[in-house]
Amino acid sequence: MNIRYTLAATTALVAFAGAASADTMKIGITQNNVGVDSYQTTYEKAFIAAAEANADVETVVLDAGGDVARQIAQMEDLIQQEVDAIIIWPTNGEAVIPAVRKASQAGIPVIVTNSNIAEQGFDFVKSFSGPDNITQGARSAEIMCDKFKEMGIENEAKVVHITGQPGYTTAIERAQGFNDRLPEVCPNVEQIDQQPGDWNREKSQQVMEAFLVKYDDIDGVYAGDDNMGVGALNAAKAAGRDGIIFVGATNFAVGYEAMAAGDYWGSIYQSPVDDAEAALKTAIDVLNGEEVPFLNYFDTPKITQDNMGEFTKPVF
Amino acid sequence: MATLTKQQIGSVLAKQGILIAFVIFMIAFTIANPKFLTMDNVFSVVRSSAILGVMALGVTFVVISGNLDLSVGSMMSFSTIVVLDLHDKIGPFMAIPAMFAMTLCLGAFIGFLVGYLRLNSLIVTLGMLSAIHGLTLTYSGGQNMDIADKEGTWFSVFGQGTALGIPVPILIFIALAALLGLTLAKTPFGRKVYAVGGNGTAATFSGIPRARTVFFCYLISAACVATAGLIQASRSLGSQNTVGQGLELEVLAAVILGGASLLGGSGTVFKTVIGVLILGFIQNGLLLMGLQFYIQFVVTWVIIILAVWLDIAAKRGKLWSAIA
Repeated sequence: MNIRYTLAATTALVAFAGAASADTMKIGITQNNVGVDSYQTTYEKAFIAAAEANADVETVVLDAGGDVARQIAQMEDLIQQEVDAIIIWPTNGEAVIPAVRKASQAGIPVIVTNSNIAEQGFDFVKSFSGPDNITQGARSAEIMCDKFKEMGIENEAKVVHITGQPGYTTAIERAQGFNDRLPEVCPNVEQIDQQPGDWNREKSQQVMEAFLVKYDDIDGVYAGDDNMGVGALNAAKAAGRDGIIFVGATNFAVGYEAMAAGDYWGSIYQSPVDDAEAALKTAIDVLNGEEVPFLNYFDTPKITQDNMGEFTKPVF
Repeated sequence: MATLTKQQIGSVLAKQGILIAFVIFMIAFTIANPKFLTMDNVFSVVRSSAILGVMALGVTFVVISGNLDLSVGSMMSFSTIVVLDLHDKIGPFMAIPAMFAMTLCLGAFIGFLVGYLRLNSLIVTLGMLSAIHGLTLTYSGGQNMDIADKEGTWFSVFGQGTALGIPVPILIFIALAALLGLTLAKTPFGRKVYAVGGNGTAATFSGIPRARTVFFCYLISAACVATAGLIQASRSLGSQNTVGQGLELEVLAAVILGGASLLGGSGTVFKTVIGVLILGFIQNGLLLMGLQFYIQFVVTWVIIILAVWLDIAAKRGKLWSAIA
C-alpha cells in the first residue's frame, strides 16, 4: 500500500515535471549583426517583445556582431546550455554549417531565420523562416510592368537595375526573381543595364548618376531595396529627369515617404516585426511537434502609391 | 619660343608621372565612351569624389608625418549620423559646429595617443576604427538617421547646391585643397610635417616639437572628416550607420596613388587630388563602358597598379627595375 502510493506519487511527479518542461520552452537565438541597420535592430526588439508576451517561452538572445567565429562560439554556448531550440540568423551561409550540424546532433532543433544557410546544411535544419526573396523580385517586376501598362509604354520602356551587395544571397535571389519575371509579364521591356549599389544609398546614387549620363532614355529603375532606390531617385531629381518609375524592395521609411510624395512608385512590404514573430512561432511549432514546412515563408505583399494606405509607415 | 631639351622633358616626366598616367586614362575612357568627358559627367564624378577627396586631404598630412589613419571611415559615419540627428533636434545652425566639435575631440584623442603617448598609429587608429563604429551605433541606437523635412531645409546646400554653376561639394573640395596645399607647402607648420615624417630624430635635434606636429596632423584629418561627413549628410539627407565603412582603404589608396610615401616625409596635396580623381574616374569610366561588375574589381586594381608603375618608372627613368 505504502509502496504503491509512493510509486504513484513519483510517477505523477515525473509526469508533472515533464509537462512543465514542455510548457516552458527555452529558445536561444544568435543574430547576425544587431545595430548595424534599423531592420535588424527592430527585429531584435520585436523578437524579445513576442517572447515576453508568451508565458511559456524563455529566451536567450545573443548577437554575433557580424562575426562568424563569434556566432559559432555562441552556437556552442547554446548547445552547452541545453536550450530546447536554436534560431540562427547566419552571418555566413557556409561557415556556420558545422556549428548547425553540432546542434542538430545534440538533438536540438535548429531554425534558420531571415537568410537561409547553404544547401549542404539543409539536413541539419528543421525549418527556414523568412522572406521569399525570389518572389519579392518577381513581384517588383510585376509592379513595374503593371505601371508601364497603365502608362501605355509596355512595348518600349527601358529599365535599369541596381542590385544589392554582390555575393549576398538576398541580392542574388531578388535580382534573379526580377530578371526572370520581367520578360514573362512585359516581354518588350528592355533591361539596359545592371550594376550593384551594395545596399548603400550613396553608392546607388553614384551608379544612377552614371546611368543618367550613359542613357538618355530611362523609364524605370528597379533597386534591390528602398535605401538604394531612394539614392537613385535623388540622382534623377538632381539631374532634373522626371517621369522615371522607381520600384524597390524592403519598404523603408524613406521609401514610404517618397511614395507619399509621389516620387517613388512601389516596393515590397517586408516587416522585421513579422520576420521576428514568424521565426519565434516556427520554433514554438517545431517544439510542439507540429508539421512545419521546411521553407516557411512569411508573406511580403506589394505596396504602391495606390494601396499604401493599407500599410503603416515602416519604423526603419 | 623655347624648346624643351631632352633633359627638361625627362625632369617633367619624373615629377609628374602620375599626372601623365591620369591624362592617358582620361583619353582612353573618352575614346571608349564619348559621354565620359561631358560637363555633366565630369561634374558628377568630381562631386562624388569630393567626399573621398576631402578625407584624403587630411590623411595626406597624417601620412606625410609618418603615421597612418585608418579611423577616417568610421569617423565619417559618426559625423554624418551626428549632424543628421542634431539637425532635427537643435537646428542646422547649431548642429554643424556641434558635430565639428565632437569629431575634433575624436581627432584630438587619436592625436594625443599617437603624439604624446607615442603609441603605434596603426594599432591606435585600427582600434578607433571599431571603437568609433561602436560609438556611432550606440549614439543612433542602430537606427538609420533621416531629416524629417527634406524639402524645407537649407542644409542641403553643402551636398546638392551649386554656386556659379559649379556644385558646392566641388567648391568645398577645391577651397580646402588650396588652403591645405598652401599650408603644407608654404608655412613653417608644413615644413615641420615633412621634417617629422622624413627624419624624426633630426627634427627633434632641430627643435621641432614632434608630438605637437603629429597632434595637429590628426586634428586636421578630423576636421576634413567632419567636412566630408557634412557633405555626405547634406547630399542624401539621411544615412545608414555604415556609410563610411571601407572608405579608409580607398582614402589611403588615393593618397599613396598620389605618390605619398607610407614611410612619411613625401607627398603633396596636389598629387593626392590627382590620386582621388584617378580613383573616381576609373570607377565612373568602367560603369560607362558597361563592363560586368565582377570584372570591374579586377580592372580597377590593374589600372591602379599600372598608374603606380608609370609614376615610379618616370621617376627612375626606366621601366624595368628589379630589387637589387
